[in-house]
Amino acid sequence: MTRLTIDPITRLEGHGKIEIFLDDDGNVANTYFQIPELRGFERFCVGRPVEEMPLLTNRICGVCPEAHHMAAAKAADAVYGVEPPPAAKKLRELLYSGFYFTDHTTHFYALGGPDFVMGPDAPVAERNILGVIHKVGLEIGGKVIQARQYGHRIVELIGGRKVHPCTSIPGGVTKALKEHERAEIEKMGRWAIEFAQFSLKLFDDIVLGNPAYVDLILGDVYAHRTYSIGLVDANNKINFYDGRVSVVDPDGARLGFYTPAEYTEWISERVEPWTYLKFPYLKKIGWKGFVDGKESGVYTSTPLSRLNASDGMATPLAQEAYERFFSVLGGKPVHQRLATHWARLVELLYAAERIVELATDPEITSPKVHAVPTATPTEGIGVVEAPRGLLTHHYVTDERGLLKKVNLIVGTTNNYAAMSMSIKKAAQAFIKQGVVVTEGILNRVEMAFRPYDPCFGCATHALPGEMPLVLTIRDAKGEVVRQVRNC
Amino acid sequence: MPGRAMGKLGYETDRPDTVVVGLGNPILGDDGVGWRVIAEVERRLLAAGPCAAPSDGSGAGVATACLSLGGLSLMEHLIGYRRAIIVDAVRGPGSPGTIDVLPLEAFAEARSGHVASAHDATLSAALELGRGLGAVLPETVWVVGVKVERLDEFSEALSPAVAGAVPAAAQRVLELLRDRQGLAPATQLADPCRGL
Repeated sequence: MTRLTIDPITRLEGHGKIEIFLDDDGNVANTYFQIPELRGFERFCVGRPVEEMPLLTNRICGVCPEAHHMAAAKAADAVYGVEPPPAAKKLRELLYSGFYFTDHTTHFYALGGPDFVMGPDAPVAERNILGVIHKVGLEIGGKVIQARQYGHRIVELIGGRKVHPCTSIPGGVTKALKEHERAEIEKMGRWAIEFAQFSLKLFDDIVLGNPAYVDLILGDVYAHRTYSIGLVDANNKINFYDGRVSVVDPDGARLGFYTPAEYTEWISERVEPWTYLKFPYLKKIGWKGFVDGKESGVYTSTPLSRLNASDGMATPLAQEAYERFFSVLGGKPVHQRLATHWARLVELLYAAERIVELATDPEITSPKVHAVPTATPTEGIGVVEAPRGLLTHHYVTDERGLLKKVNLIVGTTNNYAAMSMSIKKAAQAFIKQGVVVTEGILNRVEMAFRPYDPCFGCATHALPGEMPLVLTIRDAKGEVVRQVRNC
Repeated sequence: MPGRAMGKLGYETDRPDTVVVGLGNPILGDDGVGWRVIAEVERRLLAAGPCAAPSDGSGAGVATACLSLGGLSLMEHLIGYRRAIIVDAVRGPGSPGTIDVLPLEAFAEARSGHVASAHDATLSAALELGRGLGAVLPETVWVVGVKVERLDEFSEALSPAVAGAVPAAAQRVLELLRDRQGLAPATQLADPCRGL
């Protein structure tokens, strides 16, 4: 058997490794997507006061500290049985919308977009944000930087710091919003709506305007029929900060809803001997292996799954974009994974509209932003919709509020099984007997998981950073017969 | 932003000319070494008096920061500075605690054109982008790298060899500051760090 190794993957936080095993005929026999796990977080937390968690957990990952900050604060609210005042919840959601706006912008322009703007076969040195700007125009780069800056500023105004916010505590937030800050956020939000509309237009022009790309999106190689989950509000519209989890089957029929506290009744985790990371699946359906279909408990938690699992968007422009999305792609649910890039832009527009909606809410500058916890702390679960999937924090404390148990299911983990399936399918489609494995082919395999925007990093930035992508082909004896290095 | 002069790309126009950044995660074992070195650098700068980083941005001197960022985000924190010194954990051959001082370009990651572990872009690509957009960014980025042992386990403690290297790494940072390396002659104003 021949083994191909893609190690590590480019444009991926942390270090993943793809192993592709070929059979004697040179076709793909199996693929393994391995992820190193950072160890000891639970042990590290035990014995600490639960109110430290919003600060501690936002150090887990340099990419989405805001998501951990929010999930931890909500879990700590639950541990103390305290309900934050309405203004506090709105401020948290406003901060979170600013974060989403930055994160989705970065993904589209730096990670997902280059494959389409530059083309899947472009040299790796051009298939990045610099290439995008070179091709589309320098002013785009300015807008992207401006968008990021506004998102950071919203986080700073509410969260106290540009990165690693520190104002959410059990019972609310530590800081009310001043009128001049509110006005600044409203102004940035209005700009953000225009930017999101501009980004959707860009997607229309570059991707939907190119028949080859439309074929690529609609083709079978990047499609999987799995369950979809997403956090929704009381009207079953997408909400990133709060609500219940909607679960729909591969045909689009709703299996049900669960509240954060019910997650253990709905989600189980599968252990495989070849990886440290567990594979979450729907407990009610069961684990049937890495397979599609209604009988398989594999689900996704992505921008695409959120659109599938909801009944629409809670803001008017995003709702229009949502309707167009499903009308162009042939109705709900959509299973073509590359459409996730488009779904992300629909969410970008929602985040921008939500910023303005919350910034113009009369209650947002209320001084009542904290309810003092008075109950004896016990156990609590906090859930938010992180950009890369549902994020669940579960804490158990003693009567003094010192942590006894911590369990986290992070966004990317939800999609681990689905990503593994996507990689296998793409590898089988593109790597066949007699095909010379080129960088372009490797990139098409990578394109299978890039829509999920996987992130396994935890703020480790030790140099030299990622090694270049290396493909190793080994013969049946394990000896290297070919090596491709795309640098 | 009230109280601070902002340029068109958002940088403060009256900042110190040099920033020393500690990169890493303070709760992930040896990955936190950059932050520890910065604390030591700050302590020595404060002890030196006139060198203390003017946090109000009076136009010269040294600013310090501890960050867990890369790529575009890190670049955004370097806007407005003429020179940057980054202290970071380095993986690779060599015994833990070994210190390397190299320009950013010396790292393979920077040359390869890959978008790296920063989730978005390599720092080199981000700097190129920022410069292309007209931002004032450091002409030189020095990296003071400390070889590390453990990066994958949550802990606030450094390995003994890595902890032992903190004073020497801080000294290398101060030497870079003193030598004014990487600053173009036009920007060599009164040296606030003479005699360190």
